[in-house]
Amino acid sequence: MIFRQLKYLLQSAGHNLWNFRGRNLISVLIISFSFLVIGIFLALSNNLTYLGEQLSNNLAISFFLKQNLPAKEVEEIRQAILDSTLVDNVVYVSQSEALSRFTANFPELKEIVANLDSNPFPPSLEARLKDKSVTLAAITAFIDHIKRLPGVVDVQFNQDWVEKMESLSRIVQAIGFFLGVILILASFFIISNVVRLNVFARKNEIEIQRLVGATNTFIRIPFLVEGFVLGLAGSLLSIFILFLLIKIFPVYIGQTLGAAEQLLALRPLSLEQMIWLVVGGALTGTLGSASSVSKFLRV
Amino acid sequence: MIELYHIWKQYQKPHWAIADVSLEINTGDFCFITGPSGSGKTTLLRIIFREILPTEGQILIDGVNILKIPDHKIYKLRRLMGIVFQDFRLMFHQSVFANVAISLQITGLPDKEIRRRVFNSLRQVNLHHKMWEYPSRLSYGEQQRVAIARAIVNHPKILLADEPTGNLDPELAYEIMTIFKEINDQGATVIIGSHDRELIRHFGHKIFFLQTGKIIGQEVKP
Repeated sequence: MIFRQLKYLLQSAGHNLWNFRGRNLISVLIISFSFLVIGIFLALSNNLTYLGEQLSNNLAISFFLKQNLPAKEVEEIRQAILDSTLVDNVVYVSQSEALSRFTANFPELKEIVANLDSNPFPPSLEARLKDKSVTLAAITAFIDHIKRLPGVVDVQFNQDWVEKMESLSRIVQAIGFFLGVILILASFFIISNVVRLNVFARKNEIEIQRLVGATNTFIRIPFLVEGFVLGLAGSLLSIFILFLLIKIFPVYIGQTLGAAEQLLALRPLSLEQMIWLVVGGALTGTLGSASSVSKFLRV
Repeated sequence: MIELYHIWKQYQKPHWAIADVSLEINTGDFCFITGPSGSGKTTLLRIIFREILPTEGQILIDGVNILKIPDHKIYKLRRLMGIVFQDFRLMFHQSVFANVAISLQITGLPDKEIRRRVFNSLRQVNLHHKMWEYPSRLSYGEQQRVAIARAIVNHPKILLADEPTGNLDPELAYEIMTIFKEINDQGATVIIGSHDRELIRHFGHKIFFLQTGKIIGQEVKP
């Protein structure tokens, strides 16, 4: 009997979804736009996080050594650097190599350097980090460790840039989270009101069902199924629109923004984020429906 | 047995829609509540199937005080009843079949049985040929017959009908009353709110006369 009723209720939900397809389509569009805004913020935040990581990973750290350090000590320091799991490779840059790099990079200063009595550039060990996500905290800890080794006099690392990028990413994430919470709440109210309008349009039907002896559960289930389907369809549509935006957006803004394009690019959502959006959509639709239909069950 | 004790109902002060109505209707009775428009017939019927609550008073159906039934259990009372509303209350975006079948779908009967019973009910009200039409395409009288088919399809123990023949021609009204009488003969209690004197005279077994919310007379025919 329960299966028969369930079958009837699912059929009824399908019937209603089709019968009120115009109204339902509008609901799906509203839901999808709400979730699209959340999705865009996630995609922007993803991009900044990615850029931050890339920047940290591509940076080389230069450990400047005392001049005339015995080869054995240089090797010990090199080994200590290589022992770190963060480091991919280490290159020794001698004083004369450093000088020739400088003159190559700044040919206009060539003569000034030539006038010096001695080579002012210290030898260094250049460590390149592995190409995977490394946090700034881990890099800082690694640098502090190497800095303390005897023979190491200074460290050059574009920490500022990484810090700026990381804090920008954190700000975007915080804004994204803050707006996300507001948008989710707003979406919930929009969706529950859209569903409420649907329910209100059918209050006559609910009343009739109550008066012929339907239980509240019997009345509620088709509405919950409809809310679930609308929420699910809305969030799936938002992911699809986001996918199109990610494909089309760079084409339009690439020309005008130049370097800023990288900052404003949208990076596709992770599978986990997509699952959250879909679950969020389905849940919002179902809960919106549940809260709306309950108001009409007191006949 | 339906017992009403000192029922009062006020929608708006200072007027009483129902004023101190007490009556008894035995199981198997075929009774009419009659009176002029605005006398309280509809209100009294709505109180009996608990669509609205009285301001004061008690109602017992087979010894159970229906005013004490919690909201979430009220469906049990309603499943014992068949109700023909004055405004029909049809679902206009669903077929005639679906409108009648809803009373059975809620009980989880097999589809085959539902189809059989719905067809029989519609045949009783002479509307079986319009089973797949939508109510909006039916005439007023036909819509009323859909409402009647829905009320009788679940073989109710109590049938309440508010002006069930108001829009029907005399022959059809007579036929509908005959259907109600058949249901009554099968053991159901039938309560009809009507001001159709001709029908009341012909079918009435127990008649309550209502005026400005008060019972002003009662007639029981042998």
